[in-house]
Amino acid sequence: MNDRYIFRYIIILVLIVSVLLSGAAMLLKPYQDNNKKNEQRINILKAAGITGVDKNNAEQLFEQHCTTTNDGDLPYYIIDDKTTVIPMQGNGLWGPIWGYIGLSEDFQTIVGAVFDHKSETPGLGAEITTDNFQSQFSGKEMKRNGDNITVEVDAIAGATRTSDGVKDMIKNTLEAYKAYFEGNE
Amino acid sequence: MSKNMNLITAPLRKANPVTVLILGICSALAVTAKLKPAIVMALSVTVVTALSNLVISLLRKGIPSKIRIIVQLIVVATLVIIVDQFLKAFMYDVSKQLSVFVGLIITNCIVMGRLEAFAMSHKPWESFLDGIGNGLGYGSILVIVAFFRELLGSGTLFGFQVIPQGLYNLGYMNNGLMILPPMALIIIGIIIWLQKPEEGK
Repeated sequence: MNDRYIFRYIIILVLIVSVLLSGAAMLLKPYQDNNKKNEQRINILKAAGITGVDKNNAEQLFEQHCTTTNDGDLPYYIIDDKTTVIPMQGNGLWGPIWGYIGLSEDFQTIVGAVFDHKSETPGLGAEITTDNFQSQFSGKEMKRNGDNITVEVDAIAGATRTSDGVKDMIKNTLEAYKAYFEGNE
Repeated sequence: MSKNMNLITAPLRKANPVTVLILGICSALAVTAKLKPAIVMALSVTVVTALSNLVISLLRKGIPSKIRIIVQLIVVATLVIIVDQFLKAFMYDVSKQLSVFVGLIITNCIVMGRLEAFAMSHKPWESFLDGIGNGLGYGSILVIVAFFRELLGSGTLFGFQVIPQGLYNLGYMNNGLMILPPMALIIIGIIIWLQKPEEGK
């Protein structure tokens, strides 16, 4: 077991591993990308209050319902010519959180919201992905009083930092779209 | 044959990696607030422990002892990444639940512990069974802890309400402390306490 053997061993091992890993990543990438795209479609439709969407019919339903797509600096999707769905990004306790929020035609009511996260605590912060949490947002009135935007929902007990993250994310996103709301009201 | 069976059954009780060897405690605290993630975690640890034990056992005669920990780590990390990529491609829903846990598997002391203590000195098939046994031993504790934490902390099992509303009306309340990690430590402590006299030592 001299040093030369050790170097040769580790170099060969690392080469084999890197071929395996990059091969796996290349082969599986198309499937993974497709899954991600479908998930985005499902989330947008869910935020617009359309139920019964799953990964098999997501593409078809999305084509059918989504009437306008804007991929600019302030992206939005308009579903069935009335609901505006806005993507959101923010920070939870351990990592990024994101989601979509669907707003009614007059931007006064929330149609629906979906949230997702990278690494929030299972059973606590990760509860933002459950229907229990998300369904609270459906039909909630969004009070816009000057610069203040108020939406009242219950936070998750034991997950203060994640709940705060959701709050800030919604607030920051809606504030960024203020000009858009006023221009289209 | 019975010796091989013993490789699977011993880690369930008298050589349990969590309650006897006190390994893998960190993830046992993190993922046991609910039953479902606990079971998913148990299964994935079992798969990774079994396969990495198998691979290391096959390689064991050629691994230079000076860098054996590094080699073990490379094997474990590779397996975990491949499993993760595979899940992302074909079982996207499951993989989303797993994402955090998969990272935790690499740092799970049980995996490296079994490689070092068993696979380095035993034949491939025995090592494979040892990996399955230890994964299940770890999983059984996870499920027991998660059962009590979810039942007492949220009043649910697998997300379904099991504590009747009538009890809440009488003044029963979910114990919020149960959801927090320290209670997992206390439950594991109770399991160890119950198990010790049985072993006669």
